[in-house]
Order: sequence, then C-alpha cells, then structure tokens
Amino acid sequence: MTKPVLEMQDISKRFDMTQALDNVSLALYPGEIHALLGENGAGKSTLIKIMTGIYKADSGRVLLDDQPVTIQNALDAQTLGIAAIQQEPMIFPDLNVAENIFVSRRQRSLFINWRQMYREAEKILAQLDIKLDVRSPARGLTLAAQQAVEIAKAISLNVRVLIMDEPTASLSAHEVRQLFKLAMALRDQGVALLFISHRMEEVFEIADRITVFRDGQHISTRLRSEVTTESAIRDMVGREIEKIFAKANVEQGKRLIEVSGLSKDQAFSDISFDVHQGEVLGFAGLVGARRTDVGLALFGIEPADEGEIVFEQQKIAIHSPVQAMKLGIAYVTEDRRQLGLSMPMSIVTNITLPKLREYASSVGLVDNQAENEVANRFKERLSIRTPSVELEAGKLSGGNQQKVMLSKWLNTKPKLLILDEPTRGIDVGAKAEVHQMINDLAAEGLGIILISSDMPEVIAMSDRILVMREGRQMGVFERAEFDQERILTAAMGQTIATESST
Amino acid sequence: MKTLKRLIHPDQIRELVLVLLILLIVLFFGSQIENYYSPRLFNRITTSVAILLVVAVGQTLVVIMRNIDLSVGAIVGFTAYFVGQQLAANNDMSPITAVLLAIGVGGLMGLVNGLITAYGRVPAIITTLGTLAIYRTILVDFSDAQTIITSSLPAWLVELPSKNLVEFGNFDIRWMFVWAVLVVILFQLVMTYLPWGRRLYAIGSNPDAAAQAGLPVERTMLIAFILCGALSGLGGFMFLARFGNITVVAGLGLELQIVAAVVVGGVNIFGGSGTMLGALLGTILIATLEQSLLRWAIISEFWRDALLGLLILLAVAADAVILDRLRNFWARTEVETLSDIEAEPLKETPHAL
Repeated sequence: MTKPVLEMQDISKRFDMTQALDNVSLALYPGEIHALLGENGAGKSTLIKIMTGIYKADSGRVLLDDQPVTIQNALDAQTLGIAAIQQEPMIFPDLNVAENIFVSRRQRSLFINWRQMYREAEKILAQLDIKLDVRSPARGLTLAAQQAVEIAKAISLNVRVLIMDEPTASLSAHEVRQLFKLAMALRDQGVALLFISHRMEEVFEIADRITVFRDGQHISTRLRSEVTTESAIRDMVGREIEKIFAKANVEQGKRLIEVSGLSKDQAFSDISFDVHQGEVLGFAGLVGARRTDVGLALFGIEPADEGEIVFEQQKIAIHSPVQAMKLGIAYVTEDRRQLGLSMPMSIVTNITLPKLREYASSVGLVDNQAENEVANRFKERLSIRTPSVELEAGKLSGGNQQKVMLSKWLNTKPKLLILDEPTRGIDVGAKAEVHQMINDLAAEGLGIILISSDMPEVIAMSDRILVMREGRQMGVFERAEFDQERILTAAMGQTIATESST
Repeated sequence: MKTLKRLIHPDQIRELVLVLLILLIVLFFGSQIENYYSPRLFNRITTSVAILLVVAVGQTLVVIMRNIDLSVGAIVGFTAYFVGQQLAANNDMSPITAVLLAIGVGGLMGLVNGLITAYGRVPAIITTLGTLAIYRTILVDFSDAQTIITSSLPAWLVELPSKNLVEFGNFDIRWMFVWAVLVVILFQLVMTYLPWGRRLYAIGSNPDAAAQAGLPVERTMLIAFILCGALSGLGGFMFLARFGNITVVAGLGLELQIVAAVVVGGVNIFGGSGTMLGALLGTILIATLEQSLLRWAIISEFWRDALLGLLILLAVAADAVILDRLRNFWARTEVETLSDIEAEPLKETPHAL
C-alpha cells in the first residue's frame, strides 16, 4: 500500500476513573474503507473525538502525511481535511441545503452569489448522485438526506479523512444502500474512510480492513479476507470473565410484571417478557438497541403506543412517572448528570425528592429531621462515603452518586426496579457494591430489570437475558445458555444460524 | 395542491396574515373613532413607525442569533438626550455630525452589551437587563434632571420630522419614514447577500453545529450587538427630532414595543428565522395599534401596555403551535415530492424527567 494519510500513534486518554484509550495506534490509507469494531466503551468514540479536535489526547502523536499535527478544535480538523459524520447529523434546520453544504467555507468574495452557490451545490450533489433540491430548507429532511448533505459538505471542504460514526443506525435498508454507494464513490476518489458500525454484515460488505478495539486497547487490524464474523466477535469479547459478584440463587416469587407486544413508533416493537419477584432480567444490546426506551416506556416517561402490560395481575397502561411510582415501579437512569441527580443539591434533598410530600408536616413545611434520618439510613445501608448527607451530590465520586440515585428510588419502595447502566463510569470497588446491592434487593423480593452494556456484568447478575437490537427483541436466554459470544452475536444481528442475512 | 404549496410558504402566510390583521385593525378603529381616516393620524403613525423601525431592525439582528437586547429603550433615551444637549450647546453642528454622533454613542453601548454577552458568556437577557438599568442611570446622572427643550435646538432639526419626500393631498410621505424603509432594505440585503448575515441565521439555527463548523460565533455575535446599539442610536436621533423636549424618561419602556414588533413580525425568538420585511410589518401593526388606541377613549393608556404584552404572548404561542407544524408539514411534503425516501422531521432532544 501507499503511505497513510492519517496516523494516530500511541494515543492515550483517561477520564477520571476509566482509561478510555491505552496506547492505541491506527493508520488510515487513502482509498480505503477501514472499519472499527468494538463493544460499547471500547474507545471508538473517544478516538474519533480526538481525531476531530473535540477531546485532546493525554499522550501520543497524530501524523498527517508523515508530518506531526495538532488538532485543537473543530476548525483545525477541518483545515487538515478531517471530517466526521455523526449518527445525528449536525445540520442547520433553518438554512437550505446549499447553505448547509457551504456553511464552513471561507468566503472569498464580499457578497454571496446565490446562483453560483446553488450551481456548485448542485454539481457536488450530482457528482455524488444525490437527488435533493438545493433550495429546500434542511428542516424536515430525512436523516439519510441530512447525512448526504453532511457528506456533500465534507466534499466541498476537500476532505481526506471521513469518519462515519454509526451512520446506518437509523437508516432504512434502501437508504443504507445509497450511503454505501456514496462511501464507495469517495473511496475511489482516494478518501480514507473510517467506518464504525455494529452491523457485522455491513462491515463485511464494505470494509477493506477491519480493526478491533477492546477496553481502550488495540486488539487487531487485518484485511477483510483474513477476518470472519466469529474471529471478530472473539476479538471484541476476548476477556476473561472478571471475578464479579454472581447473582445469588433466590427463590422466585409471584410474577410481577408481564409485558407482551410492547411497541413504540420510531423506538422499539414487539417486546415481550415477564419478571418475577426476586428475579433479575438482564437487557443486553449495543448502542442504539433501544433498551433505554423500553425502560422509559415502563416508567411512563415515553409511554408505549401498543402492547399489553400486566402488573401484579392487573392489566394497566402506564401514562406517567407518577402513576408508575404509585404502582411500585422505579427507574434509575443511565444519565446521572443530566437526568439522575440535581448536582448542586445536597444528598438528602436528592434522596427525598420523589417523595417530598411524605416529609411535609401538617402545615406543609418539610420536616428536615425526618429527611435526614432517612438519608442517614441509606448512607449506612449502601455505605455512601460522605462526611455528611448535607454535602452537594456533585461533590461525590461517580460510584457514590450512583448509590445516592439508588437510595432516591429505593426510598419510593418499589416492587419493580429498572436499573439502566448502574455501573457505568464507576470504579471496580463501587461496582462490586452495586452488584451486592442488586443481590440483596432481589433477595428481598424485588423484581429487577438490569439494562447493561457490560457483557460480563449482565451474564453474572441476571437470571435471564433479553437481547435487543435496533428496537427488536432478538431472543431471551436462560441462565444455562449464557455465553458471551452467543449474546453478542444476537446483539449484532447475526440471527442465530437459522436465518441468513439478505 | 403541490404547486400551490410550493408558491406559498408558511412564512409568507404569516406575512399575509399580518397584512390582513393591519387592515382589520384599521377598519375596526375606522368604525369606532370619528374622523379616523385623517391625514393627521396617518402622518403620526408613519413617524412613529419610522423611529420604532430602525430600532426593530437592530433587534431583529440580535433575535435571529437567539439573543435579545432589552437595553434598546435606554440607548434611545440616552442618545436622544446626549445629542440633544450637544446640539443645544452648539447650534452650528452639522446634521451629518449629529447623526454620526448618535450612531457612534449607540454603537459604543452596543459594544459593551456584545463584549459581555459574547466573551463574558453572560446570557443576553441578563446582560441587557443590567445595562438597561445602567444606561438609564447614566442618563439620569448626566442630565442633572435638566430637560432639553425644543427652542434650544437648531431649526433644521425641529423641522426635520415634517419634511416630506412627496405628498398625496394631505397624506405625507415623510423623509424620516423613507430613511427607515431604506434601513430595512439595506439590512434585508445584508441578511441575504453577506456571509455575515447568513452566519447569523446559522448560529441562531443551531449554535452547537455552528461552533463545530468552525464559524466565528463570538465575533458575529459582537457585531450584531454593536449594530443593534448603533441603530438604536439612530433611533434616538430621530426621537430627538420628533419630540424636541427630552427628559430623563425618554424611550422608557420602548423595549416592550420593539420586542413586540419583532416577535409579532415573525422573527423567531428561538433564533434561526425571521426577515426584515416581517419586522417592518410587525412595526406597522404595533404603531397603528398604539396610535389608534391613543385616540380611542374607551381604553385607558395603561391598558395599551397590557395589550402589547398580550400580543407578544399570542405571537410566540402561535409560532410555537401553529407555524412550527406548518413548517414541518411543508418541509415534509416538499421532500416527498423530491425523493422516494420517507420523510421524518428533525428529532427534538428527549426531555428530562
């Protein structure tokens, strides 16, 4: 091969607790489509963000045409010819297609020559064989059309390295075809494409080379012909199952909830499962599997459109979080910072927030002493490490914040607890404590839905595992059938042996 | 149906509705007030429109960028007083110097707003709420509670408001009105043909994407505030010419009328869209309503502000509820005619708990 356009050498990046990238190297050659594979948290997104100037690497070098370069911000990446297309395109809804294409271009003349701009935009779109009216506003374009506009924008900036981060996740099969045609046209023009996707069949269809990351490390880079689906999945999973808490065997009680045919437009369809008292049902899947949407539907934040929910033998429809709380359902969000806790507020006020009315005296004033008692009880029970429950939640470590969030929802005395990524971004010690907690709660007779992208965690902690992929239920595995490779295979849409992809 | 949809866009519907609304208001007051269709009232309205309009153009620049300038009333008041005082002290000052002085003083005040908002990262609503009070206080202190009186001003200034370009019977087209319309045309061209103008739309439309696209967000924002201040300065000069007697309360509360004019004129308060033509129509509507209510004995003058407030609320609510749907509907049908891809409107970010 010729010389690489872009080389990332020995890149490392650390966020508080996690080593997101550990001495990772990657070279991209002109005229290749290079696929990057890895489980959630493997470090793919971090690498992209370093390439496009959103993050700065702690160490390592970036070479463009063998010359070391620094990428400080989006503008630097742009001038060097590096562009990225995100899953959700960065589009200006009020501007028209042509303006969106040329928004970053340095203007040489004083005035905008609209006619010339439309002509040039049409030329670029024609070159890419995209049929769009350059005068129509970007508002209301389909996601696929928006991506096409972004690709056209990259072309107008003489892109040399184009990163496509899960570009097909929200596209229909027909749109994926069109995108691939575009990608291949770019490759033939000598652009280096970095293609990230969870869909194996797509990767194998389009990639020239395949790189696998795992846990922030570079595992392998091989030609497509040297890789099989099985070997790629093995590289992605690879690790020994860590010694983490295993789900204790608990006598399962009554059936708590039974869901059948649950569907929501644009999110998920036909999800069916049940959870018993004392049972942990794991939800496995990759980014975009829409597991969180199911959780939000059960908690009434984004109610489902169709399907039946039977909760404690009662057929119900869940419309709002208030109603869900009354029924005894609690949902602990994956997004501590945005949705989970109010960071400037104290631990105690965070914990009592959903049930604040219970702490109000007859005249309606909040009884601080009762609040403090409850908070201190949870502090003991979950061993929240803090000098005082009056401390701001934002000052705690991630693991302790997680415990505060758990306290908040346990305080609502739920029967069904939905945990969404409860151990993301917390350290090993805190993780073990959370696992212990899940065990204890199950032993107390709670039903638990555990949404987690951490494969060893789901396998160790669940009684059964439901695997989702892009809003669809790919199967439910019993404990005896648990196997990392099988579950990942299902999550990536390699429908197990029976159905061949078309 | 499709061709019809292509010819008439939602934003044009809004402008049509505004024109209709203005006509309705005129017809309504015509039936209520005796001798309503008089040249005198017409001339009053156009003079009032002229002053509001130049300031509304500046405000439009700022609002398109997803900001707001509440200090425009204080800037109008201060420049009116300041320039008036200079002219009273020095009657020989040339008209050009006086106008440039007003624009310069206003621009300086806009510069302060812009620096604090763009580089100090203070939200515009807070910045300009603060400078609104500060500029007004500077005026009070500076004026020493003295009033500028018409007789101390040079004759050319006092006669300026009644100078006409053409007359149709007693209906005058006054120079001040013509200037204001020229300002509208100038800035409509800026918004259409200068990269800077298009960048305002881009930043208001999606600030994150604008930063990622490498646009000079801060600089663009600063210039918009300077221009808004400068245009308010020009408005202050016209205010001085019209009223002659200037006290420390000159232009007090003007920001309400300006924001009302801009918002009613269809400039999206969340940024990204709006035209100078819309601002013109909004201003005409507000000024007509205001001058007509002055003549309408049934309504006390205190209710006029409440009515303005109500108009702002209605305009923004109509924008959020009706126009957004229309826009998405339009965009969708448009795309459907262009490709076989099924359309899906831009997704809103999921809302918090």
